[in-house]
Amino acid sequence: MFLKSAAVALTALLATSLTAKAETIPVLVPITGFLSLEGTSQRNGAVLAIERYGKDLGLDAEVTDTGTSPEGAVTALRRALEDKPSAAVASMLGTQMLAMLPIAGRAGVPLLTVSGTAKITEIGIPWVFRFFPGDSVVKVAQARYAIEELGAKRPALLHQTTAYGQSGAEHLRRIMRELGAPLVFEEAIDISVKDMLPALTRMQEAKPDLILLHLHSGSTALVIRQARDQNIALPILAGSAMHQPTTAALLEPKQLAGVCAESASSPISEPEGQVEDFTAEYRARFGTEPDAFALAQYDGVSMLIAAKNAGARTAAEVRDWLASNSYDGLAMTYKSDGKGNMAHDAVVVCYDGKSAVPVIKRRYENVSGVK
Amino acid sequence: MSDPRSRLALGVAAIALALYALFFAGDYALHVLTRAGIYAIAAIGYQLIFGRLGALSLAQGCFFGLGAYAAGLGALELGLGFPLTLAAGVLLPSLLAALIAIPVLRLASHYFALATLGIAQLALLVATNWTDVTGGANGLYGVPPIETGTLSFGHGLPLTLLVWACVGLALTVSHRMTAGQRGLKVETLREAPLAAAALGIDGSAIRFRFFVASAALGGLAGALQAHAVGVVSPDVLQFHVLVLILAMTVIGGRASPLGAVLGALLLVHLPEWFRDFADYYLVVYGAALLAAIIFLPRGLAGLFGKSEMPPVETADAEAPRDPAPHTLSVETVSKRFGGVTALDSVSLTLAPGEILGLIGPNGSGKTTLVNLLSGIDKPDGGRILLGDADITGKPPEYIARSGLCRSFQHPQIAPDLTVLESVEAVTAEGESAAARVTEAGLSDRANENAGTLPPAALKHLEIARALAAGASVLALDEPAAGMNEVERANLAALLKRLADAGHGILLIDHAMDFLLPLADRVICLSAGRVVAEGTPADVARDPAAINAYFGESPL
Repeated sequence: MFLKSAAVALTALLATSLTAKAETIPVLVPITGFLSLEGTSQRNGAVLAIERYGKDLGLDAEVTDTGTSPEGAVTALRRALEDKPSAAVASMLGTQMLAMLPIAGRAGVPLLTVSGTAKITEIGIPWVFRFFPGDSVVKVAQARYAIEELGAKRPALLHQTTAYGQSGAEHLRRIMRELGAPLVFEEAIDISVKDMLPALTRMQEAKPDLILLHLHSGSTALVIRQARDQNIALPILAGSAMHQPTTAALLEPKQLAGVCAESASSPISEPEGQVEDFTAEYRARFGTEPDAFALAQYDGVSMLIAAKNAGARTAAEVRDWLASNSYDGLAMTYKSDGKGNMAHDAVVVCYDGKSAVPVIKRRYENVSGVK
Repeated sequence: MSDPRSRLALGVAAIALALYALFFAGDYALHVLTRAGIYAIAAIGYQLIFGRLGALSLAQGCFFGLGAYAAGLGALELGLGFPLTLAAGVLLPSLLAALIAIPVLRLASHYFALATLGIAQLALLVATNWTDVTGGANGLYGVPPIETGTLSFGHGLPLTLLVWACVGLALTVSHRMTAGQRGLKVETLREAPLAAAALGIDGSAIRFRFFVASAALGGLAGALQAHAVGVVSPDVLQFHVLVLILAMTVIGGRASPLGAVLGALLLVHLPEWFRDFADYYLVVYGAALLAAIIFLPRGLAGLFGKSEMPPVETADAEAPRDPAPHTLSVETVSKRFGGVTALDSVSLTLAPGEILGLIGPNGSGKTTLVNLLSGIDKPDGGRILLGDADITGKPPEYIARSGLCRSFQHPQIAPDLTVLESVEAVTAEGESAAARVTEAGLSDRANENAGTLPPAALKHLEIARALAAGASVLALDEPAAGMNEVERANLAALLKRLADAGHGILLIDHAMDFLLPLADRVICLSAGRVVAEGTPADVARDPAAINAYFGESPL
């Protein structure tokens, strides 16, 4: 009798534990190194979505730091593949994605990312799904806002030397030229550079009427701070790093006067609705402000869970579902363009010089014409 | 690895690792093992230049990255297949190292470090900004897995075995460069570079070989990395790659190729083992590294004992060879340092079998003269002949090989070498290290570390090295300094025997009760000029010598 009771109890326990943890979703993101701020946002978004929507499916998240090297990302992915997951959240760093994709392709596991690097969806590996608008979307929004709203005729561009920086610069250079306001100055800045005055001084000699930035978070804050300290009062239209609350926190509100930024979204700028609920929950869970990367990855994982709720179990089924369905996320509606580019909207936010919370000035929907 | 138990433990560990890789490791474990092997190759290379030679090169990460780019570009742009891509990966950094070696290797330690850092930064800038060729910050992607003929080493066990076969190759290269007398030369060069040069060791050639070899092995590792990861981005040229290789070399054990392998295995696996600490894994990783540095000062390889030569019986040593007789002639030699004239038209001769005493007050130019004779400084005027050969301004190693060696006021030794190893390091062809150790009266201490010798024994060791290097002329700078009466008597007897055997000896010392009875002739220098010359008795009574040096006659 005792043995029978024990066997029943053990079976129940095993069944419970199996139900409680049916699958671990690997979250392979850079939480150390120069992309730690953005990578942490990406991690938080993924974890929050799994905690909120994945519990009923027995989903759990296992976070692995990829650092910023391709080999670090490959190692993390190979480790994750040991458990044969049906999908993985993968780094927002383009060079890491380029290293991981062939391996994911061979293993047949879809990677969900918020990387902005254009090439990851151009190399013909159909296992990548990008939930953050690529440069072909956000750079169009940035260029159009510069010309249509800010009246730029002589824009200058400061961009990072990283893959992100070079990719965005290439797009901005082309789009600005096509829109009739070619760049009058351009300089690439290494991620380790702290003194921006030489670049700003050279830029001033070109007499620009607008500063375009396409830099990571730290460099963005340094350029704006040093430009304002030098009384350079030109309007600044920055890349998506500037919309991040962690970037704005590095600056005084008055230094942010005349500063705008492109982004996929700006959760803290949404005063009501589901995005506000997300923001409140994010703050409570992580004690910090969410940004567009967090929201995009949250939406991406939510779509993955939607796929599973719709019956996709294997990695191939998940991929097929993601590739062929649209999903109404909090930031936008996501739909693949056939290459894995899921996000096609952008916003431009601006600071008023009194607050560190930007206002959404304009939305650019379906820029790539996919939806 | 001196004791059999350590060798056994190491052998068992190697076999266990091989069995684990062959039968138990999954894809992920094999991948980590492959990474460890790749870094082991780079660390074995780095150990040659940093660990063995003590030169802090900050370019090893650069060579690693260049190897990766060469292999990647070879495969993607030139359509080269394996192993040509591997050859390209080895060749490009080797060529760069050979090109920069001549100016860079002349620099003193910190300037050498800065110069190599500059080269590494330059390579990083080129990789990042030469977008058309390198792919810019995105780098090169789609580098094909390794395949040759019908064999595929793309990933998993075949790749791991290939990489570890390359580790074996790297260990062989390292062993060939550092085994036996070659290794002893390198140790002497690192610990006592001036003495090494003055004893005939060609430091420039050794530094060049080691720098190029370190670059070649760094490039080999980079090329394997390119194929294993499939992407080459500027990240492979970043400073953190060098830091990782440096940490592997230090924690593994600076002077042992085995240490490089152990260091790579540990440092690649540690972060993986600590993944479960989530956000704190780097803290735990750092603590583990710190503990390794504190508790394993000789590195992991130190756990397996120090590599030692077998003890040598010196009792049966062959009799030392007599030197080829050379007369040393110094003709009106001058030397200036800025506005100070250190030597002014000094001339002297030293015949085979003669002991010539060189005396004078501090600053009179005695050591400067020895520096000119041994090639450490170059004269501004005059000539120095050894026999018929003009050795004026020649490099120290050339002069030493010609037959003139010197000792130093403060003995320059490699403290971790035994007496016998110290002598073996510089022993010329046909000479016997054991015989010279015996001749110098050090046979009882032959297997003691040089660093543990008392001062008098160190002076004898310097003489033994000079003899083993084939010196017919010895320039000895204060060999009796700090000795007691018995030690001086022993040294005097040794020098007398050497002179009787045909060695010419230029002897500098301030102990007149030691020098004057021993010398056949004496020269007194003052303010860089010869003020007295003759037999010891003549010079001791010479008013100029008394005025300049003695104060009153010592006789």
